[in-house]
Amino acid sequence: MSAVLSQASQGNAQGGKGAIRIEHVDKVYEAKSGPVQAVSDCSLDIRAGEICMIVGPSGCGKTTLLNAIAGFHDITGGAIYLDGQMLCGPDRPKADPGPDRVVVFQNGALFPWKTNLENVAFGPVVQGKLSKAQAAEKARGLMADAGLAGVEHNYPGEVSSGMRRRVEIVRALMNDPKVLLLDEPFRALDQLTKSVMHEALLEIYYKNKVTIFFITHDLEEAIFLGHRVAIMTTRPCRPKKILEVDIPHPRDYAVLTSPRFRELMEETVSAVHEEAVKAFEAGEKEM
Amino acid sequence: MNPKIKPVGLARPRKELVELLRGTVLFSGLSPALIEKVADIAVLERAQKDAVLYRVDDPARDLYVVVAGQVNHAHGPATQARVLTKTMQPGDVFGWAALIKAPARRFATVTMLADTELLRISGAELMQALASDPEAARDVLARCAKMIVEDFTVPAWLAQVQDVPAGKGGSPMVQRQAAAGEIGAWEMFAYRLSKWAKSPTPYLMLVGFVLFFGAWYLLSEVFKVWRFASLPGPKTVLLEWFNPNPTYGMSLYTPDYYVHIWSSIRRVLYAFLISTGLGVPFGLFLGWSKNFREFTFPVFETLRPIPVLAWVPLAIVMFKGQESPVIFLTTLASFYATALNTMLGVQSIDESYPRAAACLGASKWQIFRHIVIPGALPFIFTGLQISVGVAWFSLVAGEMVSGEYGLGYLILASYVNVQYVVIIIGMVSVGVVGYVSSALVRLAGDYMMQWRVRELALGGGR
Repeated sequence: MSAVLSQASQGNAQGGKGAIRIEHVDKVYEAKSGPVQAVSDCSLDIRAGEICMIVGPSGCGKTTLLNAIAGFHDITGGAIYLDGQMLCGPDRPKADPGPDRVVVFQNGALFPWKTNLENVAFGPVVQGKLSKAQAAEKARGLMADAGLAGVEHNYPGEVSSGMRRRVEIVRALMNDPKVLLLDEPFRALDQLTKSVMHEALLEIYYKNKVTIFFITHDLEEAIFLGHRVAIMTTRPCRPKKILEVDIPHPRDYAVLTSPRFRELMEETVSAVHEEAVKAFEAGEKEM
Repeated sequence: MNPKIKPVGLARPRKELVELLRGTVLFSGLSPALIEKVADIAVLERAQKDAVLYRVDDPARDLYVVVAGQVNHAHGPATQARVLTKTMQPGDVFGWAALIKAPARRFATVTMLADTELLRISGAELMQALASDPEAARDVLARCAKMIVEDFTVPAWLAQVQDVPAGKGGSPMVQRQAAAGEIGAWEMFAYRLSKWAKSPTPYLMLVGFVLFFGAWYLLSEVFKVWRFASLPGPKTVLLEWFNPNPTYGMSLYTPDYYVHIWSSIRRVLYAFLISTGLGVPFGLFLGWSKNFREFTFPVFETLRPIPVLAWVPLAIVMFKGQESPVIFLTTLASFYATALNTMLGVQSIDESYPRAAACLGASKWQIFRHIVIPGALPFIFTGLQISVGVAWFSLVAGEMVSGEYGLGYLILASYVNVQYVVIIIGMVSVGVVGYVSSALVRLAGDYMMQWRVRELALGGGR
């Protein structure tokens, strides 16, 4: 890869927020059939302000890794740091969930009993950082920026799935997080909505420069969005190959047809295919 | 041609117009050469304040870009637009219907809010200009699709196919206005009522009742079928019920009748309040805390199958007076229904909701308050509806054993005194009051779960 291009892609990541260091992380959990090694000796450095795409076969343990960073469950070995501070490690196997690392869930987790505005305002209010009125004002501003003006007082169940996703991302950004943890957030969307969401996400990213840890199955999505793409091995999960996407940001959809994009795509496909075959042969259940 | 709208030629520098076009959502992806081409076919027009550019259903030929001024863009009521009226500012594009080949009719009415300058671009000419560059054409159409998606919650073609089921909450238009808070709860209720009256539901209901009473009448009073002969028919019951001087001393005109009804209602009310007050928190903790569940649930499950009637002797021994044993018996079954459903409600909450809340910085107590309670609410209200029904039938059992007033007592006393007509009056009264009470619980549930009502009205939500 040419040094200039590589610098360009890193240059865009500068001024970013949280750097995540994953060091020799192991995760074994007890299933009915016995212990399962979901993650083994996994090390990955995610630079501050980069979009790091995590790609791997279904059930390879990507979500396990995300859950460990978010603090939803413990790890068996190794350590995870955020900006040098240990989140979890030998002495404290489980990180505390907190607003510096907000997750956007696979199936969406907007609270259906709160309006979109109440959802977005939720974080700062429960943390006691802003009063309800202040939070609502800030939420209204952020929602307008994300093209969500007009749906503030609707419930999530009343708006389209693409909009729900946007509301959820805005809800995360409301907390000024260091890291966004996205777990296949656009999986359930149709192709058109998905492409709109990609542009919306990039737009948000260019404004915020928040570090993004993004799990996906979709290789096109991975290369289009990511500064780097980490291809994970099938269970146990660890990086098999880390691909620098040397297409400079800001990007738009024209990138998809560029020759460099095709090259990167081929490189990724062959690496992922190998793992997918392994996973298929192992008969992993989709998680 | 509208006299209030006229071409003004190139009163503005071409460079400015090209810049403006480049800045629009629709054309921002085009190459400089193509932008020039678009600028070539664009005509600058000036429109006076209040002029109407086009109306809903006018033929759609042109696309417009606002250069200066302000434009009001109002979707017609037939569309599924997310926001019905929008104000277009300089740089905004509207009139995309001109790019759609099939109907090419306007979906909106466009009025000038001020003296306005517009760039008019013929849809056909634009498509022709784009034909030289399929890549660019694709880009423009994708952006157009994006604009449409942003305008409409549901794509128009889907909205046409999948209309909201009748009787479930009204026309999309009314629902949207209700969602936007433009229609009050009362108007919504009145609208639903008129919709209900127009639907087959009430007539089917009527047919059901007519068949039921007709069969009863024929069996007992006309043909006097074996075994039914001793059963009072509906005519006899109605005559007695509406008789100012009832043969057996019990009708709508006797104060005693209301004393019986009121004592039953009062007992059910107490029992329902106690069982809800205890059952909901108990169920919430059962669902929320694994430890709590492990040490209380087995006991709970052992007590639950014991029928209310089996508790009668103990209730009489344990509680003093007339009222408290009956209330205790009535509470018991309701409590089980409420607690069990509440527990299931908590367990039904998607794991990602508490996780998301924890991510957003909520404490354990805040998660309980903001996630667990509202998340379990749909199940809680199902439980409460069951609970109020169960309360009525355990009440009647309780009243048969103890007490000197109440519908259950009335039924038993009439049996002892061989007043079969009064038995039926008592039974029907229990039915009617029970139906009303569970309808009230359902209404309270709808009131507390507006989000759910709206989701269901839109056709099942997620």
